[in-house]
Amino acid sequence: MEWLNRLMSLDRRWIFLFIAIGTALPIIFPIGFGVTTTPPVQSLYDRIEAMDSTSVVLMSYDFGPSTSPENNPMADAVLRHCFAKGVRVIIVALFPIGGVIMADQSLDRVLPDFPDLEYGVDWIHLGYKSGGQASMKQIGEDLHNVFPVDHRTNTPLSEIPLTQEVHAYRDMELVVSVATGIIGEWWANLVNAQFGIPVAVGCTAVSAPKYYAYLLSGQMVGLLGGLKGASEYEQLLMDGYPWMAEVYGRTGLYTAIKGMDAQTIDHSIILVFILIGNIAFFGTRSRRKQG
Amino acid sequence: MDAILNLQRINALVLVFLFCTLVLSYISIARRGGSLYVRRISGLNAIDEAVGRATELGKKVLYVPGIMGLDENQTIASLALLGHVARTTAQYNTDLDVPNKDPLTFAAARETVKEAYMEAGRPDLYREEMVHYVTYDQFAYTASVSGQMVREKPATNFLIGSFYAESLLLAETGQATGAIQIAGTAEIAQLPFFVCACDYTLIGEELYAAGAYLSKEPAQLGSIKGQDITKAIVGIYIVVATIGLAFGSELLRRLLTIE
Amino acid sequence: MQFLRLTIPLLLTAVAGLIPIIAFMWSTETRWIHATKDRLEVYMVIIAAFALLLGVVNVIQSNVKKIERRQKGWQYGAFLLAGLISMGAVGILSAARIGPFQGIGFLDDGTRTPFQYMAEYIFNPLQAAMFALLAFFMASAAFRAFRARNFEATILLVAAGIVMIGRIPLGETLLGGSPLLGEFTEWLMTWPNGAAQRGIMIGAALGAASLSLRVIVGIERSFLGIERNE
Repeated sequence: MEWLNRLMSLDRRWIFLFIAIGTALPIIFPIGFGVTTTPPVQSLYDRIEAMDSTSVVLMSYDFGPSTSPENNPMADAVLRHCFAKGVRVIIVALFPIGGVIMADQSLDRVLPDFPDLEYGVDWIHLGYKSGGQASMKQIGEDLHNVFPVDHRTNTPLSEIPLTQEVHAYRDMELVVSVATGIIGEWWANLVNAQFGIPVAVGCTAVSAPKYYAYLLSGQMVGLLGGLKGASEYEQLLMDGYPWMAEVYGRTGLYTAIKGMDAQTIDHSIILVFILIGNIAFFGTRSRRKQG
Repeated sequence: MDAILNLQRINALVLVFLFCTLVLSYISIARRGGSLYVRRISGLNAIDEAVGRATELGKKVLYVPGIMGLDENQTIASLALLGHVARTTAQYNTDLDVPNKDPLTFAAARETVKEAYMEAGRPDLYREEMVHYVTYDQFAYTASVSGQMVREKPATNFLIGSFYAESLLLAETGQATGAIQIAGTAEIAQLPFFVCACDYTLIGEELYAAGAYLSKEPAQLGSIKGQDITKAIVGIYIVVATIGLAFGSELLRRLLTIE
Repeated sequence: MQFLRLTIPLLLTAVAGLIPIIAFMWSTETRWIHATKDRLEVYMVIIAAFALLLGVVNVIQSNVKKIERRQKGWQYGAFLLAGLISMGAVGILSAARIGPFQGIGFLDDGTRTPFQYMAEYIFNPLQAAMFALLAFFMASAAFRAFRARNFEATILLVAAGIVMIGRIPLGETLLGGSPLLGEFTEWLMTWPNGAAQRGIMIGAALGAASLSLRVIVGIERSFLGIERNE
């Protein structure tokens, strides 16, 4: 009875210790579990796969450093896909604290594998804009008004080849928001609803459940939910572009597939603890009934 | 007509008109003394008990009004609840602490608490430090409030408003300190965390109704009734539209689409 | 006094609340209403920026007071002020390009400015560390919450177990390589979860609309610090 009670009120620090070990060990010694894809991820992959060099994708970095271990791999994977496919990319950041840094770092990781891309022609970085929803709505009317100059060279958009062709959502094929918090939701329920442009969101696993409602209603065309979604996208990339296997196999590069090792172990640890908790719960209850 | 109204949004206009008419009619009915039934919301009924516990233990009440600004409806709803909590702490002579992340919310929360203490007839108990600003950064704010929970061990924590990733960090820390916790949010992704870690949770529309429920003012209660009737109409419409759409009704599809 | 404290704020609230609604319904040909709405949004950003100043002043005042009085935990206040002053000073000096503080991003040769260095190597890791705590707290909350206490809790427990296994490769391994569990997880997330999310969303949206209406017509005044109708 005593041990059951102690299990029931187990000191949470034991759980913390196991989670810490379960996270650290697979990162130090990768295991390499397999990855299977789900429809929301496949749908985004297929949509970009169907594009060509005339297409323009707006990528919005709507997250900060806090969620970067989850958001970075998905942002990198989608960016790599667009560049590999020759799709032109306009990069913006609507997250106030760190959004631009996240975009810069993502470009630093991805661009070295695409040395032929030309800034201002194949891609452009417009930087941060405050105002959230207001900025999103204004892009629907005139992108050049919202971002008068680009982030990297301070050149007016009207003088840059890519943005000479792109003035609003009507000139783009897709919006991909890699987001934390509410910004991803705004793209779906405001930009898609008012301007009709297809929207896909890469979000943290915590907020993934709410996005299924938008996916079902057709307000979103794809969803990368947490590290799992990002790992699926990485796998699809490696399947579709075999040379990417070398990129994702590099030692020292943090990828979602590697991160999924830790997540797998952690989920298993939590499940074991839930099982222990329930055994203790039923044990004490039956003893109480007998007593 | 085209030059004035956006005819593609006429369905939205009709819905807004219907909603406003229903809400305003019920407000008028309530003001004329009509009886309105509003179900019990246990989280709100527990406020007095929660503040009472803090009084007995001689500890403070911590009120976190979410992390968003005044342009977020949940913050407005939270301020309505803060007024009630502040009046209760004033009556019970219990210390209240309201840390803020958003500067506009901070300004409004300060007014709300000050007024509540005046209204309760205890302006002498009000101190400026009760409502204070922490930082605009989400996680720095979380660290500060969590630290406060651990160091000062408030007897009661209110986590009411718009929360994101910090919801579980705050609620679990509060749970670990043994505080009684009343939470409320309309952020769906955060609701499971609050349900797990708090004693009471106001779910979605319960939060918006909180101010009206506690004020017991007929005008406010009437608006809840009007909202409920609209919800019933929307529910019926969803069923009809689902059946209609399954049979390929173009009219229903167009009625449901807002350009 | 009543006029300044009540009538003017309520009128402002009503007008500011109605303009976006009217602009949404009105034709884009009526430019003035849309221009007014856009201007309102800009004003909101400006007012919020000034309010931030109010917050900063309050942080300094309250922490200086705490340190002066040597209140419990005053050391934390001192640490907070040190952080505020150092990051703020570097930011201001960098924006004004004074001395070694030339800008807030990268220098032309690609090296980091002091501000960028502080953001990347102090601020970012602290942020990530706070978010990472979630993993630990989720585990302990799950341990406490997922108990088969009654029928509903058992359903919750089973669904959570399936989703947790289905979202990791372990599920497939347990079923000998069959993707069944993963597919069932996706079904759970798409349909039952999607339906519940929509239900709460619709309810919350109507609740928010009702609250907005109360605010616009001036019944709900708590945000002005006024509880009862006067």
